[in-house]
Amino acid sequence: MSSILLTDQLTKSFGKIQAVRQLSFEVKKGQVFGILGPNGSGKTTTLSMLLDLVPPDKGGFSWFGESPSRESRKRIGSVIESPNFFPYLDAVCNLRIVADIKDKGYDDIPGVLRLTGLYERRNSKFRTFSFGMRQRLALASALLGDPEVLILDEPTNGLDPQGIAQIREIIALVASKGTTILLASHLLDEVQKICTDVLVLNKGKMLFSGEVREVLAVSDSIEISAEDMPALKNAVSQFEGFSSLTEADGTLQVHFKGPVSAMEINTFMFSKGIVLNRLSERKRSLEQHFLELLRENV
Amino acid sequence: MIKLLKIEWKKIRTYKVFWILLGLYFIFLSAGILLAEFMINSMVNNVNNRMPIPFPHIAIYYFPDVWQNVAFFASIRYVLIFPAIIMIILITNEFTFKTIRQSIINGMSKIEFLISKLIIILLMALVITTLIAAGTFMIGLGHSGFNDIALLSKGVPFMTGFFISLICYMIYAFFIGFILRNTGLAIAIFTLYSLIIEPVVYFFLRAPFIFRNTIYTYLPVNAVIRLTEYPAIPTLKKLMGLDLQPHVSLASCFIPIGYAAIMICIVFIVMRKKDI
Repeated sequence: MSSILLTDQLTKSFGKIQAVRQLSFEVKKGQVFGILGPNGSGKTTTLSMLLDLVPPDKGGFSWFGESPSRESRKRIGSVIESPNFFPYLDAVCNLRIVADIKDKGYDDIPGVLRLTGLYERRNSKFRTFSFGMRQRLALASALLGDPEVLILDEPTNGLDPQGIAQIREIIALVASKGTTILLASHLLDEVQKICTDVLVLNKGKMLFSGEVREVLAVSDSIEISAEDMPALKNAVSQFEGFSSLTEADGTLQVHFKGPVSAMEINTFMFSKGIVLNRLSERKRSLEQHFLELLRENV
Repeated sequence: MIKLLKIEWKKIRTYKVFWILLGLYFIFLSAGILLAEFMINSMVNNVNNRMPIPFPHIAIYYFPDVWQNVAFFASIRYVLIFPAIIMIILITNEFTFKTIRQSIINGMSKIEFLISKLIIILLMALVITTLIAAGTFMIGLGHSGFNDIALLSKGVPFMTGFFISLICYMIYAFFIGFILRNTGLAIAIFTLYSLIIEPVVYFFLRAPFIFRNTIYTYLPVNAVIRLTEYPAIPTLKKLMGLDLQPHVSLASCFIPIGYAAIMICIVFIVMRKKDI
């Protein structure tokens, strides 16, 4: 997979506040890369730097293996914060201005308007649009000229459930075409549903980065039970990485210091001569993991 | 260049505020120029009522003086403020609607953005000057007939002078709009300064016995307006002892051009350094 974006020690302060601290990460072609963090964690600042809106204090980044330029920005479609258009111009005219800036033709305009469900309203002035429609027009403008990368900053922020579903549907469609997506969100659920990879950011610092699948696969608690419960308790406490256990309703909830697979436990118990009649992994949701990461780094 | 012009044209083509203000500007301007002679002569009549020897009536629309007179009336601050306000609105809109930010995100360079606004200033000044020159030619033709190419002699320097006034004044407006980023605030401050603060300062600086220097010629708005200092009315000259301006002096052009150049430099530096 070729590298789309590479950042190196990106750092930015606003006065005394360190918005982003030495952030290094890589986004590869085809990834749906989520930047996850609570409000004020530096997500928007990071994206602003990547789009040359805010100069970094230190560090740098490259797009498509080249140093950033307006040519590289033309290959990127982005929706940052609020949709910015001329209120007195209609949807088509606003998109034409965007197409002119990006050096793209107008042929894509009907297509992106249909994709975002705005074709019927193409001749309405932007100021008459509802919030959801504005957000979709921003997405339409980002999709003009078939960009290689789509940058989305809180794309569903402030939308009603229907609006959220519409936006996510469009993102999923675009991702399925192989477009690389960089998405910032404070919603775990969103990242979990849309992204393939995730970077967790808090107070400008990277806490974690990896595949969403990997994050979800981590399990550090297991439920077990057997005929001989005292022997089971005794055996499990000898397991390497054992941390604590709680007993409830005839099952043991066992916590470990690191990730443990069901297979390892089963093999271990078997060697101790204990036959388990119940064994289930308790996968942590991304949310738990996220909250734990935040807690660890307070 | 063409691309930037295409983009800017889309922004103003259906923008009602732009066309209404431009229309008002031309109505004010035409009314001012066409009523100027009538108003001057009604003052003359008023004076004549109390004078034993009547002054002759004044004519301002004949060649070649009409060029100078129109250039003078067109650069009166109350009229010149219109294109300036248009410029303030066009630049502050970009901040209000955050479209400047979006343009950069979409791949326009910051320099390109500024150049696109400077192109609009240049083009507006060119169109307005051309229309006024054409109108002046018609007025002159209607009042004195055209039989000699020499009658255009004053046209080129005075219309060029007006063109420079217009460009510089719109650059001042662009500067204020760019720095303040807020439409209402920028219009208020610009209008207040142009129409009230500077005339008051000018009045005190020119007051005899206080300042015996020409510092007042360096006031920015004044420098723009004084490019075409007085109308060419020989009778007034005799009456009031005014020196008639024979031509637009090159030296007087340097002051507003200097200010405009400094402002453009500041805008470029701010654009580079500041977050959008």
